[in-house]
Amino acid sequence: MEALAETKSVYLREHEALPSDRPAWLEALHRRGIEDFEAVGFPNRRQEAWRKTDLSQITDAHYRAVSKPGAVGAELSNSVGATGPGYRLVFVDGRLDRSLSDLEDLPAGLTVASLAEYGADAPERLTGVLGRLADTAANPFAALNTAFFRDGAFVHVARGAAIERPVVLVHVATAREEPHAIYPRTVVQVEEGAEVKLVERFIGADEVPALIAPVTELHAAQGAIVSYYRLQEEGSATRHLGVVHARAERDASVRMHSMSAGGRLARVDIHADIADEGAEVLLDGLYLTAGRQFSDHHTWVNHRTPHGTSRQNFRGVLQGRSETVFDGLVKVFKDAQKTDAQQQNRNLVLDRMALAHSNPRLEIYADDVKCAHGSTVGELEEDALFYLRSRGIAPDEARGLLTMAFASEVLEGIRVAEVRDHMMRVLLRYLPGDTAIEELE
Amino acid sequence: MALLEIRNLHASVEGAEILKGIDLSIEAGRVHAIMGPNGSGKSTLAKVLAGDERYQVTGGEILYRGKNLLDLAPEERARDGVFLGFQYPVEIPGVSNTYFLKAALNAIRKYRGESELDAMEFLQLIRERAKAVKLDESLLQRPVNEGFSGGEKKRNEIFQLAVLEPMMAILDETDSGLDIDALKTVADGVNAMRDAERAFLVITHYQRLLNYIVPDEVHVLVNGRIVKSGGKELAEELERSGYALFEEAAA
Repeated sequence: MEALAETKSVYLREHEALPSDRPAWLEALHRRGIEDFEAVGFPNRRQEAWRKTDLSQITDAHYRAVSKPGAVGAELSNSVGATGPGYRLVFVDGRLDRSLSDLEDLPAGLTVASLAEYGADAPERLTGVLGRLADTAANPFAALNTAFFRDGAFVHVARGAAIERPVVLVHVATAREEPHAIYPRTVVQVEEGAEVKLVERFIGADEVPALIAPVTELHAAQGAIVSYYRLQEEGSATRHLGVVHARAERDASVRMHSMSAGGRLARVDIHADIADEGAEVLLDGLYLTAGRQFSDHHTWVNHRTPHGTSRQNFRGVLQGRSETVFDGLVKVFKDAQKTDAQQQNRNLVLDRMALAHSNPRLEIYADDVKCAHGSTVGELEEDALFYLRSRGIAPDEARGLLTMAFASEVLEGIRVAEVRDHMMRVLLRYLPGDTAIEELE
Repeated sequence: MALLEIRNLHASVEGAEILKGIDLSIEAGRVHAIMGPNGSGKSTLAKVLAGDERYQVTGGEILYRGKNLLDLAPEERARDGVFLGFQYPVEIPGVSNTYFLKAALNAIRKYRGESELDAMEFLQLIRERAKAVKLDESLLQRPVNEGFSGGEKKRNEIFQLAVLEPMMAILDETDSGLDIDALKTVADGVNAMRDAERAFLVITHYQRLLNYIVPDEVHVLVNGRIVKSGGKELAEELERSGYALFEEAAA
């Protein structure tokens, strides 16, 4: 317990040393963040939600917030456009990088802005939503982010606007030697009947011993349609502890695709609230791990109102001695009659030493609902491998082909071709052996 | 020299000996049929020839084109012209029939020192061969065997045979589960591929298929051994008398 107290105090001291020239709205959030963090501290493994996540890599050191962004190497700067064209903001070590960003021809009805630029006169439409969904009392990394973020993205889509090209947010972590923390922050408000596609991508240098703790808040007003693609592709020394909150109002549709492929330890907690009748939430996820990677998706879907729909489809592929967690809770509140909720998690374990945990959960307090869940952990089918080999296909390629088929199924619902193509490339690079698979027709 | 020469082959599955000394010699251009009751070892022989590692060869040898076949991995056998038409074709969700065949054909062509086919040439080839075996073209884009009817699966095997053009084709109960029309189509596909270079080993429980694929030689397999060999009239004899006589003889 002493160690825990000490861990708290370094973050508190860091908070006390923050500059005093911050705008009042930001300072208020910072204060709330550190107070909530101080109240609960880092979770330990006796807490159910953190039972399988080994945080010792994080609690053993002080990850100090980066004060000055580093230089972006050629490889990373070339990569910022990898998911195709869009209205793009690039944050380097948590701060906006203008030269890598591209907001040309922003259409009417779309606001894409850096939080740091608002200064003292941030509009109410921003301050009214920023921090409203993130539960700083429940999640210490949401609290840390709220205590320390200095910049971030504000995306606002005006009533009825249908934005064709995606909004692309890229968070780049540059090479550094010392442990450090980056707190990306994103808040998205999609007004009534509006439609937008959003890509949020996390990349970074391999040798970065960083804690990256992003918070993303998505508000979908009545009838809004929000597609959100979250791509976690950071370097091999990164500890990524992310939080996503989405709230769907009446008849709104929130569709998320999460891909987790990078980092040493990567966890994202996705909270989705069906907050009014007829809303739907679709969560798809793909995690690819190798070596000693740890990847963890926790989903929390709350059906608070009647006639809501949720669909979850998560797939994982594991190599080496990697470990993964899928833990998904669907909670159907008492009044949420006629809820239709489905949850699927399938894992493909390619190496014996890899370990997949799958824990889909249903908590139902209404009596007229349709809920289903399922989970599998398995290996490649011997019969299928032999069938492919008996036709002349090399074992590595056969394994690659079957793995590809398994994993790419969750990419089918992605509505931006360039994003899907990019995820496919990430998948191809990941596949075992030197597979010569170019496309899956 | 024979294309395929099996000498005193013994094989087991999970410790149980299934093949107890098979001798069989198949010349290029010939069609051999193996008939036998359930459990006689027909499918084990087919799987051993294709290289399924779940079957252990415990004795004997197999020479294919003068090489020791047992030294070759399944994919090497396939590239060198061995083809197994599966009794139970495997469903492979997420991999289209077309993509699968392209990967297979290119692997085989590469081994033969031929260039890979370009997309147009390949499509032309598979359309032509699909037509020849009356495989519905819509099945080409579907995942391999997924949701195919029993007949479609078997037809798909013959379609693959037609595209990959092996030297030594082994058909494991390709007739099971087929109605008479599908059976004729499958037989037509096989007959169209008979030539002086290529050999077939047709494994079947029933004589019916052999009315349409007329074999040069027929072997009766009972309890892991070939108990009788003869011409096509042996199949007819079996149809009349059944296997009981041979089973007694083998016991």
